[in-house]
Amino acid sequence: MQPARKGRPLKLANTNVKEYNPQVSNAKSRLTWLWSEYSVIIAFIIIFIASSIMNPRFLDINNQLNILMQVSIIGIVALGMTVVMLSGGIDLSVGSVLALVGVMTVLALNASGSILIGIFTALVVGSFAGFLNGLMVAKGRIASFIATLGMMAAARSIALYIAEGGSVSGEVNGFTAIANNDLWIFDYPVIIFFVMTALVYILMHKTRFGRYVYALGSNEKAAMLSAIRVDRIKIAVYSLAGLLVSVAAIIETSRLNSISSSSSGVQYELDAIAAVIIGGTRMTGGRGKIIGTLFGVLILGILNNMMNLMNVSPYLQGFVKGLIIIIAVVFQKRE
Amino acid sequence: MNIRKYNGCVDSCCISYFPILGGINTMTKNPYITMKNMKKSFNGVLVLKNVTLQIEKGEIHALLGENGAGKSTLMNILGGVHQPDNGSIYINDKEVKMANPRISQEQGISFIHQELNMVSDLKVYENMFLGSELRNKVGFLKVEEMCQQTHEILAKLGVDIDPKEYVRNLATSYKQLIEISKALLHKSTVIIMDEPTTSLAEHEVNRLFELMKNLKKSGISIIYISHKLKEIKEVCDRYTVLRDGEMIKSGIVEQEDLDTITKLMVGKSISQNRFVHEHSFGPVMLEVNNLTSPGLFKNIHFKVKKGEIVGFTGLAGDGRTELFESLFGYRKKYTGEIKINDQLIKIDHPRKAVEAGIGLVPKDRKENAIIKDLSVIHNMSLSSIGNFERSGFLQENVEREKFQYYKELLNIKVHNPHITIDKLSGGNQQKVIIAKWLEVGADILIFDNPTQGIDVGAKQEIYQQIVALAEQGKSVIILSSEAPEVMRICHTINVMYQGEITARFNGEEAAEEEIMHYATGSKREAAKIG
Repeated sequence: MQPARKGRPLKLANTNVKEYNPQVSNAKSRLTWLWSEYSVIIAFIIIFIASSIMNPRFLDINNQLNILMQVSIIGIVALGMTVVMLSGGIDLSVGSVLALVGVMTVLALNASGSILIGIFTALVVGSFAGFLNGLMVAKGRIASFIATLGMMAAARSIALYIAEGGSVSGEVNGFTAIANNDLWIFDYPVIIFFVMTALVYILMHKTRFGRYVYALGSNEKAAMLSAIRVDRIKIAVYSLAGLLVSVAAIIETSRLNSISSSSSGVQYELDAIAAVIIGGTRMTGGRGKIIGTLFGVLILGILNNMMNLMNVSPYLQGFVKGLIIIIAVVFQKRE
Repeated sequence: MNIRKYNGCVDSCCISYFPILGGINTMTKNPYITMKNMKKSFNGVLVLKNVTLQIEKGEIHALLGENGAGKSTLMNILGGVHQPDNGSIYINDKEVKMANPRISQEQGISFIHQELNMVSDLKVYENMFLGSELRNKVGFLKVEEMCQQTHEILAKLGVDIDPKEYVRNLATSYKQLIEISKALLHKSTVIIMDEPTTSLAEHEVNRLFELMKNLKKSGISIIYISHKLKEIKEVCDRYTVLRDGEMIKSGIVEQEDLDTITKLMVGKSISQNRFVHEHSFGPVMLEVNNLTSPGLFKNIHFKVKKGEIVGFTGLAGDGRTELFESLFGYRKKYTGEIKINDQLIKIDHPRKAVEAGIGLVPKDRKENAIIKDLSVIHNMSLSSIGNFERSGFLQENVEREKFQYYKELLNIKVHNPHITIDKLSGGNQQKVIIAKWLEVGADILIFDNPTQGIDVGAKQEIYQQIVALAEQGKSVIILSSEAPEVMRICHTINVMYQGEITARFNGEEAAEEEIMHYATGSKREAAKIG
């Protein structure tokens, strides 16, 4: 690119630039920087080490793989949630949409007998629900909390209606392979989760879409005045979240070859939001990292796993999770 | 009438103050309020240099000066919002410290801001008594009594509003009356009004003036801040002119004519050189015909040639910002035609404006221009991100190189361009925003208040760079409420008043006093600007 086309350099009298030099910063401020940038990773390492000391079974490779398997579905949902929250919104409909997508997928699967058509249906239904969310938020100017709350109720209701309140099961051989086969030691869901993480990471940090989402979440008016088509980006953000929900729904359905219209996906939105918040994404948008969400998901997974290993009553597990979320937010405020 | 009942005990010490005040018979030559030798600086910039202001009892005192003369700072000190670095305030020769707005209010001073401070979802009487509600022994509100008192005060002002009406249902002029009523409720003896007429229609202005004269008769002093000299002639008794933080003159309004006052405000020392050099212009780049948006601006015509710098100036609320936000596609509800390079185009989104070669450096940089969580580089590349893409992926090294170029071109002082932009000084932030539009390749650059919040040295630099851009063939539009600013850098100056262009000057010939006349509405050009 030839810079010269834009104009000639201006020579100005006062060129003795006095600036802040980060190289001379002392160890303490470097430590603060390290903490503020990577606090979630540091927290992860602390929790990991603490867990391995507290229970020797924790480090067992099968247990580790089990944790990964258990977090993969919420992890994929949380990736989409991260993007939505970076844009300054929130998506409460993910759990219900997951159930709806699951039901529709099984119906399409059974009707066509083709796994491909089943997957295709899932992706279309999920991203269409997300698209509707985006439309309400961007064009209808409805607060995302309200719009997706409406979608949460509506999607669950349709799923219940179609499945008549019960579960639907797949009748096509091979569909269960998606969630239950493995490659070397990794289950497919874990691989899918990591691939999705990598893709969303690239999307958010290496493409204009990601840049625009950060800009929009940080300052919507300035983004608009920078000639960004804010409405389109918002619609794309919610559609992407819906698409990721359908990937999660495919895994969820394939795992037991069935989906429950009443209990599948319940409270997934809370777990996903918790992972995103623990991962350091700011509630109001504009700041946060995909990598943070990955570690947020892993922290939640380890906590669940440890509570099971240590025979903590399942009724108390929600309490611990709630505590962790609040502590994470308190630490964020400190910055 | 015992209105001053407070929720807490904090204020009880001051309640006894008012009966004493009522008993004192002030002479006209004895100032009621004296602000003596006020000094105030912000971030090392001296805003008030030894200003003394005296207000008599029962007068309407005009506080005059251009934007940045120090009027607001002075009034904020009186209102307890700012603390002076030096100087003291006397009420009836007794020194008082206005440590916070509450104390100031207890001393009988009410500040009616330009943007009215009302809770629109509360009722009229609730707003009147906000923070000083009347309560019975149990702690429940005495609604009827509050309504009664509200009604009495409103009746005294000759206004017929139901105390139980919601404030959101009232017109602006009525909201203002409620602010004044509130001041009366608190038994204020001094009311500061900051440009109260900007959003009022003519008959509402007249009613306000009647009211002000009545308040004056009952012994209340009013400090009246306005740019509209005609109004000052009509309603004010005395005036004080501030300029560059200094008190220039204080006197009786009747003894001066408008020209003299304007001269006092502007000052003779327009010694600052014009930056812009005359050069020949290219063809017309931008032509605007009959642009109208109801309530904001109407019948706007102008042309901008290649290489020309065109200024728009006027008072706050004259519609110029809205005009150019519309031209840039941020506002959509307007009619009229916009031609770029003789091509008629419809702009309904900033993207369209950018594609047509327009860039906007908006005012209020923090709210409208910078993305504070993005790095300096990413702010620069935001509007032209296509320039840095290869097969859909961003090329960060290209961005870095490009930023290096603009850093040298615009003399942006930043050591590490990967830090977020909010860590830069105002002047450097502004340069990054300029770089953003240069990178887009905009041919028409609109600067709204380009030197807002930028220190003097950096201001000069921004001016030089704007002039350099014009010399390189860009068409530049400058919006500024500071007439000297447009006079220094513009070839053509448009003056706006209430949404219309009221005058157009050649940049060399324009005199600040003339501009002020048109900007304040005291003069209107007979011939239609077209």
